[in-house]
Amino acid sequence: MASGMAGVGIGYVVASYVITWAVLAAMLVRTVGAVRRARAEYDQAAKGEYRT
Amino acid sequence: MSPASTNAFGPPKPAPAALGWFAVLFFMGAQVYSVATSPADELMGHLQKMMYVHVPAAWVTFAAFGVVLVASLYFLWTEDERADLLAASSAEVGSLFCGLTLVLGMLWGRPTWGVWWSWDARLTSTLVLFLIFVGYLSLRSFVEDPHRRGQWSAAVGILGAINVPIVWMSVKWWRTLHQIQSNPRGLSPEYLRGLLLNVAAFTLLTAWFIWKRYEAARYERAAEHASQAAALGGSNG
Amino acid sequence: MAFRDDVRRIRAIVWKDLTTERRSKAGFNAVASLGVTILVLFGLALGPDGKALHDAAAGALWLAILFAGVLAFNRSYQVELDGGALEALLLYPGARWAIFAGKLIANLIFVTLMLVIVVAVGIVLFSVDVPDTWPAIVGIMMLGVVGIVTLGTFYAAMSSRSRAREVLLPLLLYPMLIPVLLAAMSATKALLFGDLLNESGAWVQMLVLFDVIFLVATFLAFEYVIEV
Repeated sequence: MASGMAGVGIGYVVASYVITWAVLAAMLVRTVGAVRRARAEYDQAAKGEYRT
Repeated sequence: MSPASTNAFGPPKPAPAALGWFAVLFFMGAQVYSVATSPADELMGHLQKMMYVHVPAAWVTFAAFGVVLVASLYFLWTEDERADLLAASSAEVGSLFCGLTLVLGMLWGRPTWGVWWSWDARLTSTLVLFLIFVGYLSLRSFVEDPHRRGQWSAAVGILGAINVPIVWMSVKWWRTLHQIQSNPRGLSPEYLRGLLLNVAAFTLLTAWFIWKRYEAARYERAAEHASQAAALGGSNG
Repeated sequence: MAFRDDVRRIRAIVWKDLTTERRSKAGFNAVASLGVTILVLFGLALGPDGKALHDAAAGALWLAILFAGVLAFNRSYQVELDGGALEALLLYPGARWAIFAGKLIANLIFVTLMLVIVVAVGIVLFSVDVPDTWPAIVGIMMLGVVGIVTLGTFYAAMSSRSRAREVLLPLLLYPMLIPVLLAAMSATKALLFGDLLNESGAWVQMLVLFDVIFLVATFLAFEYVIEV
């Protein structure tokens, strides 16, 4: 029974790990990108202040 | 004018990169370790391994919503905009993990019960939580004024958080009163260590995500403020 | 002294909201008709098999009340918004909660009247055998309506003043009402069929719990939401 269950289950287990890692990787990339963009935006705006 | 460090108008303190690296490496280590060392369960076979992603994802979802609750209460009390930005960041990250929890729950349910969706208490409550998250984020996207957005989001976030245990209770009763299958399962200690390790890893990673998201929101707000100040002639108040 | 002023203010708001509704009779008639229409749509979706209709009567009834009632909530702020009277109302000294109480009571009366009509039609359309325990069902309906109207009136204070009011109110409100709807539908259904599992008591507790918690929470939160 156990080995039969294991056979059926493996695909789902693999899928869940793949999806989890993919989602986390995507979150990582997007978050770091967002901070970089926002920081650049801030630096621009702050510089603009002195531009008179 | 209050100094930049006590309001949302100045730039944030950046999250240390080392923390991010550590969180990622710790996460990868915890995952590999628990998958490699956990034996096949007698009933569930290798399906048991799903616990190392599904349970931590569910945990951080609720933890993130807890942060939304506390930050919202703090915001209503102090009107410190930074608390509102923290709540929003936490809601964004939390809703993503909520979606992940749902998908993982379905991937668990299909081989276990034969259906993608079984209307069981946990899955259904998580879906409702997801809808509450979405409502919160939609509200924010429809309100322009930062002060109004903060007040309204805080109220909605707090009421939503209060409702979470009530939703859980009512769906649970809905199931058990009609004697639909429930599967209580104790956790054998050999799996517990791996589980706790992964919960810790997910928590650390999520905390870092929220911090970075908050950092981005702070920079955006500071940029907004800086260009408003420049437009007004460069005076800061 | 101050409390009596609040009560007077509440009464004034209730009267104003209801008479504005009454003078435009179209308002109530439209909403009640909508409730009936929704019942018909449910009948079409589930019928014509009598058994399916019979089983689903409680659920269809509550959903019809929810969907039609939601229209009342945004409209209860519409009157002030159109005339710019909301700012004026807020200028008067006095507790904000009185404003909320006034609107809440007006909406309660409105939705209850609509419920009477929708239930009457529903009994006919869904061939409902009214049981001897019908007073209990009436009690459950009142508890459910209180829950729906409390949160509906609260969220409408925000949605009615935002850009996307038609979608925002249901989007925010429906997930929040799930415990009420679940409890009300389950209890109503149970009582219609003789409550063989004795579950209605538990659901009544849930309804009371929900109503109490959210009455308190919305009253506390209203001032933050209406001022801004």
